[in-house]
Amino acid sequence: MKNIFKIIGSIVVIFPSLVFGQTVTGDEIIAKVNELMNQKSSYAVVKMNIETTSGQQRTFEYESWSKNGGEKILIRYTKPRRAKDQAILMLNNADDIWAFFPRTNRVRKLATHAKKQKMQGSDFSYEDMGSGNAFITDFDAKLLGEEEIENYDCYELELKRKDGVNSSYSRLIIWVIKKNYVPIVIDYYDEDDPESRVKRLVQYDIQNVDGIPTGMKIIMYNKQNNTQTSMEFLDIKYNVKIDEDLFTERRLRK
Amino acid sequence: MREKLLKKLAALHTNHPWRMLLIVFVLTIIFIGLSERLSVTMRWSDLLPSDDRRTIQFNQIIEKFVSATSIIVVVQGEESRMKQFADELAPKLLTAVDTSQNSKIDQKVSELNEKIHELKDKDSKQDDIEKLLAEIASLKAKQNRPIIKRVDYKTEVDFLKNHGLMLMKENDLRNLKDAFTDPNLSGFLTNLNNSMEKEYIGQSESISTREKEDQAVMFLDGIQRLVKVLEKYGQNKKVTESEAKTLVDKLLIGEPYFLSYDEKALVMNAIPNFTMFDTDLLVSGTEAVQSILDEQLKKYPDLKAGLTGFVPIGHDEMVYSQRSLGYTTLIAIIAILALLIISLRMWFAPLFAIFNLLIGIIWAIGIAAAVVGQLNIMTQMMAVILLGLGIDFSIHIISGFKEWRAAGDSIGVAMEKTFMKSGKGVVTGALTTALAFLTMMISSSRGMKEMGIVTGLGLLAILLTTMLLLPTILTLWEKFTVWIRSKGKGEAYQKTRDLSFNFLGKTCESLSKHYLFSLTAVAIVTILMIWSATNITFDQNYLNIEPKGLTSIELQDTIIDKFDLDMNYALVIGDSVEESRTLAEDYRNLGTVARTEDISLYLPSDLKQKKRIPHIRDIKKAMKFASVRSRVSANELLKIKQEIERLEMNIMEMQDMAYIGGQDRVDDKCKQIIGSPTNSDSKNLIKQLLNILNNSSINQQIQGFSHFQKGVSPYFKKSVMQMCTTDPIDLNELPESIIDRYCNQSRNKFLVTVYPAGSLWTDSDFFRRFVDDIESVSDKVTGMPPVFRALIDIIGREGRNAIFFTLVIVFGLLWLDFGKPKYALMAMVPLGIGVFWMVGLMYLTGQQFTVMNVMGLPMIIGIGIDDGVHIVHRWLHEGKGKVRTIFASTGKAILLTSLTTMLAFGSLIFSIWRGFGHLGAALFVGVAGCFLTTVLILPGIIGWMEKNK
Repeated sequence: MKNIFKIIGSIVVIFPSLVFGQTVTGDEIIAKVNELMNQKSSYAVVKMNIETTSGQQRTFEYESWSKNGGEKILIRYTKPRRAKDQAILMLNNADDIWAFFPRTNRVRKLATHAKKQKMQGSDFSYEDMGSGNAFITDFDAKLLGEEEIENYDCYELELKRKDGVNSSYSRLIIWVIKKNYVPIVIDYYDEDDPESRVKRLVQYDIQNVDGIPTGMKIIMYNKQNNTQTSMEFLDIKYNVKIDEDLFTERRLRK
Repeated sequence: MREKLLKKLAALHTNHPWRMLLIVFVLTIIFIGLSERLSVTMRWSDLLPSDDRRTIQFNQIIEKFVSATSIIVVVQGEESRMKQFADELAPKLLTAVDTSQNSKIDQKVSELNEKIHELKDKDSKQDDIEKLLAEIASLKAKQNRPIIKRVDYKTEVDFLKNHGLMLMKENDLRNLKDAFTDPNLSGFLTNLNNSMEKEYIGQSESISTREKEDQAVMFLDGIQRLVKVLEKYGQNKKVTESEAKTLVDKLLIGEPYFLSYDEKALVMNAIPNFTMFDTDLLVSGTEAVQSILDEQLKKYPDLKAGLTGFVPIGHDEMVYSQRSLGYTTLIAIIAILALLIISLRMWFAPLFAIFNLLIGIIWAIGIAAAVVGQLNIMTQMMAVILLGLGIDFSIHIISGFKEWRAAGDSIGVAMEKTFMKSGKGVVTGALTTALAFLTMMISSSRGMKEMGIVTGLGLLAILLTTMLLLPTILTLWEKFTVWIRSKGKGEAYQKTRDLSFNFLGKTCESLSKHYLFSLTAVAIVTILMIWSATNITFDQNYLNIEPKGLTSIELQDTIIDKFDLDMNYALVIGDSVEESRTLAEDYRNLGTVARTEDISLYLPSDLKQKKRIPHIRDIKKAMKFASVRSRVSANELLKIKQEIERLEMNIMEMQDMAYIGGQDRVDDKCKQIIGSPTNSDSKNLIKQLLNILNNSSINQQIQGFSHFQKGVSPYFKKSVMQMCTTDPIDLNELPESIIDRYCNQSRNKFLVTVYPAGSLWTDSDFFRRFVDDIESVSDKVTGMPPVFRALIDIIGREGRNAIFFTLVIVFGLLWLDFGKPKYALMAMVPLGIGVFWMVGLMYLTGQQFTVMNVMGLPMIIGIGIDDGVHIVHRWLHEGKGKVRTIFASTGKAILLTSLTTMLAFGSLIFSIWRGFGHLGAALFVGVAGCFLTTVLILPGIIGWMEKNK
């Protein structure tokens, strides 16, 4: 549905002058969002904080590489020592997921139905982490209006799931910053109950990285479980050259 | 009219003291008789309106579901010892009998026997005699009544052995069915590993929720047992038949005992033959069970065990709160007595005051029994509250009487003057406070309403004794001292020393003269207090109100800690199995819900059962044709070792995924099997098994594992075949223990228990969301979380209304009393500001509002108004320029009455029930605040008014 690395993605192909002062439609805005989110490639060092089932906070650091607008993603844990070198490979917009365990030196294919499940104890699902053009292919967009949110002038969009689409969310409400098309806040609504908001994603500390507006910190608030997962970008680069070979089972073993 | 009455009353005391004493004596006997009917309830639901849906549902559940009234035995220690302990304790608990009623019944029976003899002597009708004999039989049946109906401390093993597979989810069956198809060791291990690898992400998914994380832990628990038993077989050590069977049962149906995650605690659930409404049995039943437990513990000094659950908590709260209220009352009496003796510098009068007060409290209790019939968590404190407030009346009467006697008046004249001067003020003050309390009757909450009734009427009762009893005692005492003096045996009557507080008079006079300064200073302090008051927060943590140091309460924390189960769950009744199933499913879909328990756990829908049948048939078919080999070959031995190594890797990966996924319980269980990856010294059972195998001869291993094939495999095959029953499960087929747990006695109502996914009491936001969520599914839901939330809302809302109405009523009364609204307002100013000071002081002394002390706000209006009333009365009586006299004399009286009230409320801080302490502390600072505002503000106002007159 949406790719975290795309959310923080670029507005390289944005021509604000064409937009300002003109009436825009929901489809046009979401196309721009999708466009800026679909960066060719990215590399990031991320610090992630999760809450364990016994209520403790646990912090991880990992490196991630994405390619083809997030169609391929590799995550490799670097901290803490216990998780070091564990890796997750997501291909085909997270339809195929693989895991590598350094202790056993084995790679395991994870079933595709995991797409809707929580990713590694976080409040992000595998689906949240990577799914190409889902904003356009899976949802119908409608401009609800304009609103100031998180101190930004934003477009407020509603994305309704198209018939027959297999997504975890019945609809999304997205606030898109007018000046750079960054989706600053996204509300996710229950798969079966379009009135029940299950999660909210907020991007903080928008910085220009390689000319691309990037939320250096992303927090996913899980309303259902009353938990939250924060992802902080310690380093991020766009449109870097990444070898195709990196996204293979063989390279997963490092 | 009022004056006439008071004069007449004073004359009665002087002329007919013994007659008055007789009247009081008769009334006291009547009230003692009434008070015996008073019962106590410690249920929070009894504080809500009686027609509140949560209360109705809660009471229905307690009445109709035996499982709602439970005695939980929590045992802690080593696993095998705990199991042994439980096996021995369970039958003993069933022998517990209630003997508390035996002597009463014996007495009644002998009375009936006497009647029968009399009837026989009179040759009365045989029918009458038979009726009495039937009554005797019915009474005797109540003697030595068994207390415990059943003890649940294991899962329903027999039922699960027949229907275990039918109870597995279709997905689990699909994924795990291979593991059930080969009873031989190598085949079983291979299938187990295949399942784990195939299911890997499935497991990862399934352990992402609490319920499924439990399943993963249970699965790993079976593997842990397997590894331990394989270690014995690998060394060709003897494995008993029981050990082999336990292994198979653990692999197939899990741990039968109710063990904690760390296997260091075990719970037993004793279902009593009575409900929470049987107050007598609640006490005697808990004590009988506790005594059996104590006896059993003597044999197991290495174990710890205690009781918790609704019944023991109800028992402890009732017994210990009453006991603790008893000693707080005693503390209050001693402290008040000491204060009075020191300040009045006399012995007998304070003793009379306390005696009068105690008689008044007996009357108040009798009235409470007649009017409300039952004391609840809040009204239990009535004695201490009345003690603090009621003593004031006696102080005024004694002070007045002593003053007039010291001035040389005869007993009769002194009494009349006392009634005319002090009596009027006492009556006005008592009526104002009582009416202010009675205003709380407007509340729909029974807690607040009954608090208003009990304290309001109680105060009137004490006013009556102060008017009827105390003057008589004073009269008789004075007559006695006069007689002593006339005999020349005592000292001559000495005029009382001037006991007024001159320093207070001087200070207030100065404040009055410099009213601009004093009023400005008070305004500044008041602003600071208002600022403090705005910072005060509401503590929604119900556990902070509960009694401290009680085993039953502390064991609740043990259960949360060891079993991760909050006993403050929500409950809802379904009218059919289908409704119960739907409700449970809807609740499970809520993010705020950890898990649910209902009959559908043992009674899946027809559709689900049908879907499971083909998978069960596949298992049955495969197992039917699987042969059990009696001997392991050398090739198989190699395969077994490889599979054990593979099993270790699978658990390692499961552990790593659990660590990254934050599933601590799974991670911990893996640590028990393969050790901790960060601690090389931790024990790895699988490595240990492999080492043992590597160090023993091939023959030894072959022999050992062949024993496995002979000892375990046939039982495994038999058990799996037994579990392959595909007959649909019907409600009537369920064991009684399961039905009792989830159904009412008529078997037409079904109980669903909903456990919260977070900490209700430490996270107020979660608490509110949990209640909102569960109420959105069904408005029939009840239990501690919705009851407590409703209580907070109702008391908060109606507390505000009560404050408003009390102010209006107090103002009306004072207007009537003073004749002019400006004097009524003048008397109310210190109170109004005092309320802000109270909340400000609460914040500054580290207090928070709770559901208990928030009632202190409407109460302080009734209590705090007296100070202002007495000062304004005296000022109007004395006239201009008498500020020093007013505050030296009346100021002293209000200081004394404030101190006695503070001592009584302050004594509640020592109560074991922290909620009582909260109210006591709030009223303590409230009374202090009102006294301070009275002596700081009124002199200034008087000064200003006198100057501008």
